[in-house]
Amino acid sequence: MVNIGLIGLGGIGKTHFYNSLRLKNARLVAVADISKTARQFAKAQGIKRVYNDYAKLLEDSSIDCVVIALPTFLHSECAIMAAECNKHIFLEKPLARNVKEGKEIVAKVQKAGVKTMVGYPLHFSEFAKIKAEIDNGHLGDVVNAYGINIWRGPFRSISNEHAHIPFSVPDWWFNPQLTGGGALMDLGCHMINLLIWYFGDKIVSVKSVLGYRFGMPLEDYALCFIKFKQGISAIVNVGWYCSERIIKVELFGTVKTISMVVGPAKTSSRMLHILGIKPLPESSAFYNELDYFVKCVINDCMPSPSTADALKDLEIISLAYKNQIQHT
Amino acid sequence: MSLVSLVKVHNRSDFKKAIKRSFDLIRFRFPPNLQRIVVKPNMCCYSDYSTGTTTDPKIIAELIDFLRENLYSDLQFSIVESDASAMKLEYSSKILGYEKMSREKGVTLVNLTEDSNEEIKVKVANHSYTFLLPTTVKNADLFINVPKIRYILGTKISCALKNIYGCNPYPKKFKYHPYLDEVIVGLNKIMKPDLCLVDGIIVHGKYTKKLGLIAAGSDPVAIDSAAARIMGLNPKKINHIVLAEKEGVGNLNYEVVGESLRFFAKGFPKRSARDKIRSTIVRIGLSTLRRVGLNIPLY
Repeated sequence: MVNIGLIGLGGIGKTHFYNSLRLKNARLVAVADISKTARQFAKAQGIKRVYNDYAKLLEDSSIDCVVIALPTFLHSECAIMAAECNKHIFLEKPLARNVKEGKEIVAKVQKAGVKTMVGYPLHFSEFAKIKAEIDNGHLGDVVNAYGINIWRGPFRSISNEHAHIPFSVPDWWFNPQLTGGGALMDLGCHMINLLIWYFGDKIVSVKSVLGYRFGMPLEDYALCFIKFKQGISAIVNVGWYCSERIIKVELFGTVKTISMVVGPAKTSSRMLHILGIKPLPESSAFYNELDYFVKCVINDCMPSPSTADALKDLEIISLAYKNQIQHT
Repeated sequence: MSLVSLVKVHNRSDFKKAIKRSFDLIRFRFPPNLQRIVVKPNMCCYSDYSTGTTTDPKIIAELIDFLRENLYSDLQFSIVESDASAMKLEYSSKILGYEKMSREKGVTLVNLTEDSNEEIKVKVANHSYTFLLPTTVKNADLFINVPKIRYILGTKISCALKNIYGCNPYPKKFKYHPYLDEVIVGLNKIMKPDLCLVDGIIVHGKYTKKLGLIAAGSDPVAIDSAAARIMGLNPKKINHIVLAEKEGVGNLNYEVVGESLRFFAKGFPKRSARDKIRSTIVRIGLSTLRRVGLNIPLY
């Protein structure tokens, strides 16, 4: 049985909290969060060790691995400290705010020899079937690819139907210094990581068009053009502007075309999910990734996507920010 | 009997004409010697006008132009909204386009949460409430309410009366949810708008749709009553509208001038009986979760 410590009980932290409680080979033994409300919530759910400082959680020798679900600007500091404390690390995406921080994390975890995994749930969703199709050669040679991930991002509401009932957006989301970027960093990393998983990490060129519909200092939509060394041209299209969620992958091969979409969940499905009757498919992906990570810790094998994989995503995003196509 | 004007707008360049017609139809007389005008749009979330959930800043811009052209060119405008449990004006004003619009029009954007205020006691349905009255609203020579028209959990509709809820400077407004109807009416008693101009250009009903409606009236109860009819609801079954009339905020009876109510009611994306049942289940589910101390998980 693996003992898990959860650091950060915000939006995605809550998802990991509930999923950790459901894991068969692990138990959630401790939670750290600076919010008193979050700590009270954890206590009410039966977590005995609740800390206001994650450094104290990391000192707990009974904890084997940590799930880090903190704001992006705290990823590097917390992951490095966790590696120094010899904890296996499940780190939420994106790896860090920039390549420099990402490299520091990778160097530190490799030196410490701990297992690390970055939270990219699409690997554990329906989109994994596409990987099998590519590897089996069913598509022939893939020529073009689209990766689309558009919804409200941090500006989400309880449902499209109830778009006027938003979730609170923490201030750090509005500060590019703390996030490292906007929609491209937040949603683009998912799609870029997925495409690299499909086609490999040899990239010839990266360009982008960034959009600022919201008038904020960070982009709320982005188109990213990636040319892979094996000849595939890919377009990643991400945005925070749409109430309705869509995640879509479309690959055009010399034999056939494949398209897969995860659309918005119906309100009734969300209610069944909230009441714990039937989890949403995307919720299963979050559970599956954590379950897979725990199994890797138990079986002593390296999980994937690792921090090194996620560093590649950051490098591409960094190039995209650098190589913007200017409109005249 | 209160007058409610309904005007059809065909495209965004017609806003000013439609605003003028809607005011003419209700025979609204602007008070003399106007100086300070306070405008309250709906800026309650981070979804912009194209989603039908918040007021289009272009309507506010056209309203400002219309009043400056037809009354006094040196009118001072304050666009007001307060922070809410899940919304900060600092960000919503940018995302919704109000920061840009207010800069272009030379008007002030006021966060009522940061405004000076005074405590006001008000009685609603024999219950006493104390609210904060923001100085900007108190000192207004003319207070114009520019709400949206849409369904909402809890009060069934959000239009003129509910929009004033956003003038309450206290940011953590969820504390009022158990007494929402009384609080809405109480706030309307201390901050009663002189004029309401409803942005029904794009509406968020069962789905988002271009309805092309501009409605005006000086009675928020009459406006809400007409809005409820357009949305396929009986205003006499909407607690805060009925209570507002009882408390003297306005009149449930109204006369429609301009286009027919039926015309807009036909076009409004109404919820079916099944949708209403689902909404009720969601409402009960959410309140149950809150009661047992659970937040709504994202996934």
